[in-house]
Amino acid sequence: MPVYNLCIKIIKKNIPTLLIYIIVFLGVSILVSSTAANQQKAGNEFISNKSNIAFISEEDSPLIEGLKDELSKVANFIDIPDQKDALQDALFFRRVVYILRVPEGFTQKFMTGEEIYLEKTMLPDSASNAYIDLSVDKYLNTAKIYMEHMDNITQEGLVAYLSANLSEEAAVTVLPAQTNTDLYNIAYSYNYMAYSLSSVLILGMSAIMLAFNNRDLKNRMACSPISETKSNLQFILASLSFAGVTWLIQIIACFILDMNSVMTPNTVFFIINSLVFTVCATSMGFLFGSIVKGSGAISAVTNVVVLGSCFISGVFVPTELLGKTTLKIASFIPTYWFVSANNQIAQLSQFDLFHIKPVISNIAIILCFALAFFSLSLVIRKNKRYS
Amino acid sequence: MVIKVKNLVKRYGDLIALDHLSFSIKEGEIFGLLGPNGSGKTTAINCILSLLKYDKGEIEVFGELMTPEAYHIKRDIGIVMQNVAVYNELTVYENIEYFCGLYVKDRNLKKKLVEEAMEFADLNEFRNFRPKKLSGGLLRRLNIACGIAHKPKLIILDEPTVAVDPQSRNKILEGIKELNAKGATIIYTSHYMEEVEQICSRIMIIDKGKAIATGTKEELKAMISLGEKITVESYDISEEQFARLRQLPNIVSAEYNDPLIEIKSIKGKNNLENVLEFIKRENIQFGKIYSELPTLNDVFLEITGKELRD
Amino acid sequence: MFAHIFLNRLKCLLRDKETIFWTFAFPLALALFFYLALSNIGKGDAFQGIDIAVVNDSRYQEDQYFRTALEEASKGDDRLFNLTLATGDEAKRLLDDNSIKGYIIDGTPMELVVKESGIHQSIIKSFLDNYSQTFGAVETVLKSNPQKYQEVIESLKDRKNYIKEVSGAGGKPDIVVNFFYTLIAMACMYGSFFGMRETTDIQADISPLAARINIAPVHKLKAFLSSMCAALLIHFIEMLSLLAFVRYVLNIDFGPRAGLVLLTTIIGSIAGVFFGAFVSAVVKKSEGIKIAVLIGVSMLGSFLAGMMSTDIKYTISRNAPIISWINPVNLLTDAFYSLYYLDNLYRYALNIGVLSGFTVLFSALIYLIVRRRKYASL
Ligand SMILES: Nc1ncnc2c1ncn2[C@@H]1O[C@H](COP(=O)(O)OP(=O)(O)OP(=O)(O)O)[C@@H](O)[C@H]1O
Ligand SMILES: [Mg+2]
Repeated sequence: MPVYNLCIKIIKKNIPTLLIYIIVFLGVSILVSSTAANQQKAGNEFISNKSNIAFISEEDSPLIEGLKDELSKVANFIDIPDQKDALQDALFFRRVVYILRVPEGFTQKFMTGEEIYLEKTMLPDSASNAYIDLSVDKYLNTAKIYMEHMDNITQEGLVAYLSANLSEEAAVTVLPAQTNTDLYNIAYSYNYMAYSLSSVLILGMSAIMLAFNNRDLKNRMACSPISETKSNLQFILASLSFAGVTWLIQIIACFILDMNSVMTPNTVFFIINSLVFTVCATSMGFLFGSIVKGSGAISAVTNVVVLGSCFISGVFVPTELLGKTTLKIASFIPTYWFVSANNQIAQLSQFDLFHIKPVISNIAIILCFALAFFSLSLVIRKNKRYS
Repeated sequence: MVIKVKNLVKRYGDLIALDHLSFSIKEGEIFGLLGPNGSGKTTAINCILSLLKYDKGEIEVFGELMTPEAYHIKRDIGIVMQNVAVYNELTVYENIEYFCGLYVKDRNLKKKLVEEAMEFADLNEFRNFRPKKLSGGLLRRLNIACGIAHKPKLIILDEPTVAVDPQSRNKILEGIKELNAKGATIIYTSHYMEEVEQICSRIMIIDKGKAIATGTKEELKAMISLGEKITVESYDISEEQFARLRQLPNIVSAEYNDPLIEIKSIKGKNNLENVLEFIKRENIQFGKIYSELPTLNDVFLEITGKELRD
Repeated sequence: MFAHIFLNRLKCLLRDKETIFWTFAFPLALALFFYLALSNIGKGDAFQGIDIAVVNDSRYQEDQYFRTALEEASKGDDRLFNLTLATGDEAKRLLDDNSIKGYIIDGTPMELVVKESGIHQSIIKSFLDNYSQTFGAVETVLKSNPQKYQEVIESLKDRKNYIKEVSGAGGKPDIVVNFFYTLIAMACMYGSFFGMRETTDIQADISPLAARINIAPVHKLKAFLSSMCAALLIHFIEMLSLLAFVRYVLNIDFGPRAGLVLLTTIIGSIAGVFFGAFVSAVVKKSEGIKIAVLIGVSMLGSFLAGMMSTDIKYTISRNAPIISWINPVNLLTDAFYSLYYLDNLYRYALNIGVLSGFTVLFSALIYLIVRRRKYASL
């Protein structure tokens, strides 16, 4: 099978470049699964990780002591000298995510009901901030109730009441999850596949196409005793084996990194989804190879298109964080459907028709994209041949 | 003396690329440097240009010691390197203009020189082409134009005609002769002995970094004991007849590669008549018959025992 | 001669589409992608309430205060919850389907059923705690002052906010800007592709073209400087355009010190170009290895400086500070961030100082290498 062998040879030549993407994929997957392993330890206990904060008080009073006690349930206090530079630096390098400052005279004003605020400086993104806010708010507002309605209450009395109240907590039951929480992490690995799969397949496919578009080679092929159908068949076979091997490597990596969830039925869907996406990426590579000339241009276009599509469809940044407009744009890209299918699969715990239907329809959409890319490239190639 | 090289030794690690090479080139010469691949031609030129460090020896150009800072010497040298050295992003015209501009400051003069170089290499048609779009031969011609545009007094051409088609090659060779006629001294390296024979006034043959013979082509040919070479095309010569042919006087050797008989004669004796007579006498059918004088290849073969071109 | 080489060099570099793409179009596109992907982070509109359910049993029906509180929290545009009433089984099924984050069973104490820990679940719990604790406080108050019932209930509605955010300096700490700063830093380092070309085209032992230039009657260092100037000029312009795009089109804040931001970009650009020139001069022949080194350093540098995730940057700076100090991308990123965020310029000066130190070191080494004009081998 000369054409087949030629294709494989071309791919082999490009292995170093292609390998980079696979290695990046493996690296990211290992990173994700190792952090996932850490999270799992904390999984049974409800919210056990506390964030680091700096608590700076310009005065000392039982009320403030009480607040500090209450906060110690949700935060670790880090000692930082009360200097602007030091504090800014601490935030800058994330030694703390939140700085709470109690201004001079806070207790006094609070007790007399005057307007007074605690001052916070924080990193905006960290979700734990909201939690600390809630904690402070709860403490002071409960204190306010006592203060306003218990006549002649002393600070000490107030704190005693508060600590009695604040020990009341809601009981949280963490249900023995039917869906494995690992699945979210493994879904991340599968999502990330969108990046490595499309990069590798598009680069590899277009490398083959580029070689075949070479005029000398084309002429030589035309003169060879192999019929066009046969050579096309061999070409398709070669592309499929290349795509298959690429896919297999990554799937196996996913399996090895997460042995636990391999046996869940979700895995079957992950496999189907990634396989369909592989077909789609291959036909995308076919399309790119038909349009773009020159290997420099190929790697430029591939990088921009693949990075771009991954960014806006939730491969790198979780879908929940993306804006509506961004997602709307993304829905014109197969990667988006691949990612949302993965996310849905991760949540599947029942496998009746009703539950798997959205997954199936997403996969069907990816398949449509694959067909569309393929036919488009056929049209382009046909037009080129006659021109 | 335009160039004087004395006892030049250049080593690459264990490999001795130039082994006590000495030669000098007079003004107005076309000096041919002839040698097989890897004999050290390019190395010698790079040493002369002060691009390469050498282990031993002295090099003078225009009577002065050549150094990398000898800009006044460099200004009068034009070089056409073996490897095409042009900017891929610049057009044919811009490339010539750029290199010429490194030597010539005056704008009008530069413009004129560039046009002349374009004419010389016959590149006018391709003025606005980028090198990537040029064929191998055209690229070579551009390379030459870039090297000689500033009308240097000494022109060094390192295998300038590789991959150039015969017409263009002849044009280039004619051009080189013309440049020489206008006063330029020329060093020309090649392993095409025909070219070297055609244009060079003096030739040095080098092999493995050693000069093995220097002189005009006549002098070189005179150095060997070989005379004319007679080739006969024949289809029916028998073993005995061939054996008898070898017995003829003045014959050094004779070989029979069906259908060609090659007969080499002693220098200075005209042997064609003898051979013709023999053929007539033995009644041997023959097609063509011709006689040639020895080539530089024969010279090389005789001195080193191997062919110049493999 | 300077002008002749400089202008031709400009022409060459500008026509080198591939380098222009990687040094300019690629960072620009990446900036756009960052913008599309990150523009929503930190903006309120991402939060549209947490889906929860409450078990609608008799206890819940009778617990008027809790019901009111919960319904209150599930109303309006800035609601905390999207509430569903359900039977126990239904709630469980909803949780299984991931239609809700958790469900509440009214009782003492309140019970919250969730499937996993997470910030949404914490908020639900915090709400419940808050309710029971406030309720506990009310009970305590009423025990000693039963007559104040009405008053207390009134004051419950009047919750106060006791925390005010004060910003540290010119800018708020913001991870989104950090992504863009890293990106600009990376683009600065991509200037190394220009630098690489410059040494390749002047060192005779790297390319025949350079050998050709070496033979011309031009002082080699002068030729090198002229062409470096061309490379720097082009890269400056690219970086300034990128900066303008990020600042004015994508509206990323750079803090109040515009002059220093420009200076930083220029210093970064110089560092990048010289770095590339240095690598190219040292690695000599193999173009593939050179490009691999350059891309490796700038991509790995960007990764460690937090281009993919800011956590990595902080993990590195805490655990292996030396890496942050030798990573040019990180130095530049921190310089930008200090300008944006810190009041005093000490940290900025430190970052820029170290980066300039590297640049000077590179130039010195380049000088030592390029100064040589005769080669042992070509
Ligand atoms: N950079 C180098 N390192 C080691 N050896 C070298 C180097 N350059 C050339 N050589 C060796 O030096 C010898 C002379 O090479 P040179 O290029 O001078 O030959 P040449 O006569 O120009 O051959 P050609 O006809 O192929 O151009 C060769 O054996 C070559 O292998
Ligand atoms: Mg040579």
